Amino acid sequence: MLDAFSRAVVGADAKGACLGSADLASLRQHVADANIRIDATNAIAQHISCIAADAVSGMVCENTGMTQPGGNCYPTRRMAACLRDGEIILRYVSYALLAGDASVLDDRCLNGLKETYDALGVPIKNAVRAVEIMKAATVAIITNTNSGPSAFQGISGKGSDCQGIAAEAASYFDRVISSLS
Amino acid sequence: MKSAVTTVITAADAAGRFPDISDLKAVKVSFDRAAARMEAAEKLASGIDNVTADALKAVYSDGKYDLATRDKCARDINHYLRLINYCLIAGSTGPLDEWGIAGVREVFRTLGIPTSAYIEAFSYIRERVCVPRDMDQQAANEFKDLLNYLINALS
Repeated sequence: MLDAFSRAVVGADAKGACLGSADLASLRQHVADANIRIDATNAIAQHISCIAADAVSGMVCENTGMTQPGGNCYPTRRMAACLRDGEIILRYVSYALLAGDASVLDDRCLNGLKETYDALGVPIKNAVRAVEIMKAATVAIITNTNSGPSAFQGISGKGSDCQGIAAEAASYFDRVISSLS
Repeated sequence: MKSAVTTVITAADAAGRFPDISDLKAVKVSFDRAAARMEAAEKLASGIDNVTADALKAVYSDGKYDLATRDKCARDINHYLRLINYCLIAGSTGPLDEWGIAGVREVFRTLGIPTSAYIEAFSYIRERVCVPRDMDQQAANEFKDLLNYLINALS
């Protein structure tokens, strides 16, 4: 697993060179934006079920047959597995966002996920739809454009500073979607 | 690769929890120290050849070590300083542990290399760091902490 700092270190070691002034500019920016990154990660962690469970429920609402006999979320044991997976994917996205690097998501979550879902007969189209809803909800919460309670009440007070970090979070969800598709 | 942030994430993942307040605080603390660490890393990177040459001169000044080993010793000192540069960036001893310390005792023992020469070199570098000529106090502390860590590992 790498973060933005160790990613720079591994890159420099491959060349056998020290990390000097030229390499440090982007890391200094990363440090300058640390509070935004931490607030955004916290915003996800404070809204776990709002993001994950609602996304799975939303996906099921769009495909009501899923909870009927013969559907992929019938009986409740399989619905529970689906809810759990939504939360696991969101958890690894939150790690990737905190680290500023996708490697934790790739190594520990996405590696082999599609093969597992194919083997278990999970409908990929529906899984992707749930991730898309999670992405939209996460972006809305981080940028403070959600309709529910504000994630930044009393913290930074505004979501407009968070466009960049929201786009980064969205890119991790896109990574999940492309690895499943 | 272990770094300040990945250590926190590894612990959270082992427990299966989202990053909680104490995880985020730990990350915040490491970010707060990052400016000093980066300053030390930057100064070290720009002066690494001079620092190596200085330390080498000090180690070989009294004829205790065979001059034939001089070039290899310079290479190793440079290598360790580069790993310290990485540790300063990563905010963790991960790069030193994984690339510089794991297995080093066995290698040195097998090849009959005296670690005392390295310890003298790094101690010399530690004593020579001058505040504020070379770097800020906080940056110097971060640098010296890593030098001490390496000296202890080689002792």
